[in-house]
Amino acid sequence: MVKRLFGRRAVLGALASLPWLARRAQAFGDSARFIPAVAQHGGRWDGRLSALRRLAWELQRRTSVEVVPDARPFTLSSPKLFEYPFLYLGGEADLPPLSASEIENLRRYLTFGGFMLADANDGSNGTGFDRGFRRELARVLPRNPLGPLPSSHVVFKTYFMLESAAGRLLNKPQLEACNLGRRAAVIYCQNDLAGAWSRDESGDYEFEVSPGGEQQRELAFRLGINICMYALCLDYKDDAVHLPLIMNKRR
Amino acid sequence: MNTTPFNAWKLVSLSPLSPWALGALAVLLVAGVLLAAIGLRREPDLRRRMVLWALRIGAGIAAAFFLFEPGIRNLQVAHVKNRIAVLVDRSASMSFPAAPGGKSRVAEVADYLDSVSSQLAGLQDRFTIEYYGFDPELAPITPETLRSQPARGPRTDLLSALRSVKSGEQGSASKKLSGVLLFSDGADNAELSSGVVGKSRAVLSDLQVPVTTFVVGSAALKDLAIDQIRVDDFAFVRNSIAVEIEVRGRGFKGLNVPVVLRREGQTVASKSVRLNSDDDVQTVSFNISPDQTGRFVYTASVPVFPEEVVTENNTRSFALKVIRDRVRVLLVVGRPSWDERFLRGLLRQDANVDLVSFYILRTLSSDPQVLSDRELSLIPFPMEEIFDAKLDTFDVVIFQNFGYTDPSLSVASYEKNLERYVFNGGGFLMIGGDHAFGEGRSNFPILGQAMPVEPAGKPASVDAFKPRLTPEGLRHPVTSFSQGAASTEQAWASLPSLPGANLTRAKPGATTLLDHPFQTIDGKTAPVLALWEYGRGRAMALTVDSSWYWAFASSSAGSPSRLYDRFWGNAIRWLVRDPDLTTLTVTADPPSVEPGKPIGVIVAARTPDYQPAAEAEVRVDLFSVKAQRAVATQRTVTSADGMARVEFAPPEPGAYKVFAWANKGEKSLGEGEDSVAVRALGPELSDASIRADIMEEIARLTGARSHPLSMGSLPELHLLDPPMVEVGRSKDEPIWDRWYYLLTLVTLLGTEWLLRRRFGYI
Repeated sequence: MVKRLFGRRAVLGALASLPWLARRAQAFGDSARFIPAVAQHGGRWDGRLSALRRLAWELQRRTSVEVVPDARPFTLSSPKLFEYPFLYLGGEADLPPLSASEIENLRRYLTFGGFMLADANDGSNGTGFDRGFRRELARVLPRNPLGPLPSSHVVFKTYFMLESAAGRLLNKPQLEACNLGRRAAVIYCQNDLAGAWSRDESGDYEFEVSPGGEQQRELAFRLGINICMYALCLDYKDDAVHLPLIMNKRR
Repeated sequence: MNTTPFNAWKLVSLSPLSPWALGALAVLLVAGVLLAAIGLRREPDLRRRMVLWALRIGAGIAAAFFLFEPGIRNLQVAHVKNRIAVLVDRSASMSFPAAPGGKSRVAEVADYLDSVSSQLAGLQDRFTIEYYGFDPELAPITPETLRSQPARGPRTDLLSALRSVKSGEQGSASKKLSGVLLFSDGADNAELSSGVVGKSRAVLSDLQVPVTTFVVGSAALKDLAIDQIRVDDFAFVRNSIAVEIEVRGRGFKGLNVPVVLRREGQTVASKSVRLNSDDDVQTVSFNISPDQTGRFVYTASVPVFPEEVVTENNTRSFALKVIRDRVRVLLVVGRPSWDERFLRGLLRQDANVDLVSFYILRTLSSDPQVLSDRELSLIPFPMEEIFDAKLDTFDVVIFQNFGYTDPSLSVASYEKNLERYVFNGGGFLMIGGDHAFGEGRSNFPILGQAMPVEPAGKPASVDAFKPRLTPEGLRHPVTSFSQGAASTEQAWASLPSLPGANLTRAKPGATTLLDHPFQTIDGKTAPVLALWEYGRGRAMALTVDSSWYWAFASSSAGSPSRLYDRFWGNAIRWLVRDPDLTTLTVTADPPSVEPGKPIGVIVAARTPDYQPAAEAEVRVDLFSVKAQRAVATQRTVTSADGMARVEFAPPEPGAYKVFAWANKGEKSLGEGEDSVAVRALGPELSDASIRADIMEEIARLTGARSHPLSMGSLPELHLLDPPMVEVGRSKDEPIWDRWYYLLTLVTLLGTEWLLRRRFGYI
């Protein structure tokens, strides 16, 4: 049973702590801290900015990771992307075709170590964002198609023990991934994962989660944290030293 | 004209016919006799039959006489004396007493030869007796030289000595060898060291000379010896390797013998072994785990007892080269970060690295919002296991932004272990961040002793900067990318700026490879990358947590920079003392030296850009581990290929280190070292045993017998008879051309004809 965690008081407390987090982040520069970058594209790219700030905040609160609770937008052709190894790409309708420079830069970004979380904010499957994203990703990594991510993948145990993909919706229990070597460079969720994290300016959740309620929202947060942990630690939880304990918890 | 009378003769055939023609005619002759016999088989009168048979046989013999034309060949011959070789083993083992407290074995042989001199003289009418010693070369000897010149031969090679004496290499090849009298303790350490087996049996049989052997010495000597050490030529660092030591004890039945294994004076293992008989060999096995790469001299020893005949064989040394297997890296991460993520990615894809990592994913202030820990995949931080039980199994320990004061995450109680780990040969790397170098309130007061830098007591600098390559960094293998100084500088300059750094102070003796371009501490620029040697280990400090910029941010412009990979590859290799990262390599040649042989040392010098350093001045010190001082020094200059070789005169037995320094002009090319073991004894003196079995087999396989030395009594010798050799002339005298032989033949044939006619056969 998952506790109800996100009352108005908690949110206000979190907002109050943002300046403190920002100060700590400045203490040694931002380079080692987790700051999600957001891909600016021709569609509606900025619908989940508050969600990413909220995810960073949760990451800071629940783990040892130091964050800057911010989401920094960059065009996909920007060289600044290479200072932010975690990139969020979301949208609510067909993703407009990417330019050649965007394709090239994104390919280089993913190939040389960057990580991208793609999220169908419209929960689409075969239409809308899903169709456009699959099309454009095939241009970026033509030799590395998306494939289902099994529930045994390390991303489901990087911090929380999870079994499936949650989100604002539960359209697909499975994530998909684009692997470069042994590393999942792109993880794609069709459940509007960030939609479950988003808050409005008053601190209330922006969207209802369906059909699972607050427990589903908590699982969406946990999945988001696990994905961040995967981006930061790769397959650390697949190390032999962890296996006996994880196997025991899986029973 | 030779008027010497004939003194021998032999019966020969003087027929001019060829042998095959003679054979054919002989067959016809026999057939004639047989046909006659067949023709008489129906004769009822036995007397008639017998008479006719006798006549035909007699005629056949008479005919054969004329056919073969027998004659007497008169010969003028003379006897030539063959030789008998008396072979005396003059190897060093023959200097051992023949019996406890008695004369040496070789002196015993001299006495014996004197005592049987008259019996040997009795053979001299038929044989020439030659006396040789072998050590292992053959040389003439007399009983007097045996007494006056101690046996010192470095090895015993019985087969070689027998071959030499058989071939008559000493100038007596014209005389045939009739026999050998071999005097030895049988302690062969050449072809017969494992006994008379395999090919050596055929060699002895093919000698075709009886070798009478005389076993010299008594088996009753007391001796304790390290007989043999079985160990691989090299070992992997921090991996177990078996060392098998064979202890031989003679006359020490029931004794418990402590066997000690030392590495350059330091005891690494010891065991006790019990000798169960008066001539017993026991094998003691040690499993050792060398903790450092390089070559080391190990010495196995057993105690020396006063009554032992040889004491020098109670120790035995060997050199063991320790190389690295996969580098075993322990990565301890204070918290997940991009710096950790890129370093992990690099180490995980390196097939030469065995990475074990522990990350602090949750601190005391973290609230994962779970009801039960079962909802988390976290494991307890196994500090005791990794910082105590298994610390020595790692080649390199990396603290990446790690430093907590919380009791559950603090390693304060293991700092001493970590400091000792480095001191004893481990590699340690501390990477910066807000938990490192004093920023996280954990100053590591004990572990900090091993670090080349110390916290400056100032907050971290958050100004972006490009680390500056120092002159030392320009040529150091960690930061020099080996295409030359200019390209190395250019490579570093091409890397992106870093966002901040911990401010530290380099300790005296530390080498700063990268420094901060404008942040100073005590008037000196703050180190960014510094390193040093601490004890036998190495430590490095990188005061930034953003080296991942060199991997990722530098890829923004186009093709990826490989400098990040190369930098970390070099850093890890330097920490584990990869021999390829030294500009000066020193190799003892060979690593184990026989007593009395010089120590050779090969030095290969390279310039900082790893080109051969021609005409570099090299100094090599021979350092005695026992005396703890340099006992000899050699100086030389490298040739065009950067190589130089020096030799040290044979030193006392023991373990030695060779240290070398090279300079090219004012610039140091670095230093290197190696180890060399000088053995106390060669194979000859390390074993006082008597190998009567070898002596018996030699005698048996050559058709002779083996005997103990028994004064005054020369046993029956097996010798080949001396052949007679024709030295003069010969003359043939026919004995077939007499008239009465012809008359006999005619009479026999005529009588047979007459009787056959009378009996009605014709």
